[in-house]
Amino acid sequence: MAAMNVLVAALPAFLASVVEFVEALTIVLAVGVTRQWRSTLIGVGVAVVALAAIVGVFGSAIVLLVPISVLRLVVGGFLVIYGLQWLVKAILRAAGAKAKHDEDAIYAAEIEAMRQEPPIAASGMDWISFTVAFKGVLLEGMEVAFIVVTFGASAGQLGPAILGAALAGILVVAVGIAVHRPLARVPENGLKFMVGLMLTTFGTFWAGEGLGVGWPWSDATLLVLLAVFLVGSLAAVRLVQARLDGAASARLAAVP
Amino acid sequence: MGRYLHAFGAFWYDFLVGDRPELFVGSIAILAAIWAAIQVGLEPGLAGLVLAGSVLCLAGWSIARALRQRNHLP
Repeated sequence: MAAMNVLVAALPAFLASVVEFVEALTIVLAVGVTRQWRSTLIGVGVAVVALAAIVGVFGSAIVLLVPISVLRLVVGGFLVIYGLQWLVKAILRAAGAKAKHDEDAIYAAEIEAMRQEPPIAASGMDWISFTVAFKGVLLEGMEVAFIVVTFGASAGQLGPAILGAALAGILVVAVGIAVHRPLARVPENGLKFMVGLMLTTFGTFWAGEGLGVGWPWSDATLLVLLAVFLVGSLAAVRLVQARLDGAASARLAAVP
Repeated sequence: MGRYLHAFGAFWYDFLVGDRPELFVGSIAILAAIWAAIQVGLEPGLAGLVLAGSVLCLAGWSIARALRQRNHLP
């Protein structure tokens, strides 16, 4: 059971972090390659320190100060909202109703944007590199921080959640250094689908507990909820695909 | 200071509401309705079933809404 609790906190944090860190890596690579690596890496470092402080302060404060029933209701509510956003987008992308995230295209656009900026100073800090890298890592990292704090606090496993995110960060950075280009082949939508499912499942479960819902099989209900949401999501992908195919056929039939 | 507050608010709006406001409003409405129903005597076991079903329905509604919006795009 203890191992299960550790996994509950670490796995969603790891998967969500892989997605966000891949997106952050694209920005960092684009800035570093086109402008100045030193200022870019300083921006990344400052953003990582800021994120660690946010997780440390908010994570500890929430765990120490907020009663668990209130915590689970509020956190559960946030996770349902946030998880459904990821899940709905992932379903639409899987069905072909929404364009998939294209890291290569984002990288090319970022490179082009950097080339429009003023030239790099001959010496000292390049504040454009610093700011773009800092902002990119901080904004992508905030989503990771949110998931780490909420999952870690609600499951009472802040340490494993931080570890999951840190492992994802190390993995993405190591692969990024090895291939030295955006990680376009990471199945981002599949990961987002899984993370969306997990956030929605745990959010529903914890919010229910906070409201006083009696789950019939205690913690094992999580697996039932996960299965129900998974089946519902896969059915939604099929339905959307069928609807898009139907609309395309109708358009073709209408052509004289 | 105002600029930072505006940016902070915009960040959280985009983070939690984004381009699918029905998920934000719908989730809060579902939780509030379940809480009220439990207060007036809904059996806690049944409340769980209603909660999970409502979340699924909300996702379905949001997908249908996204498809309708997509079809209205030029």
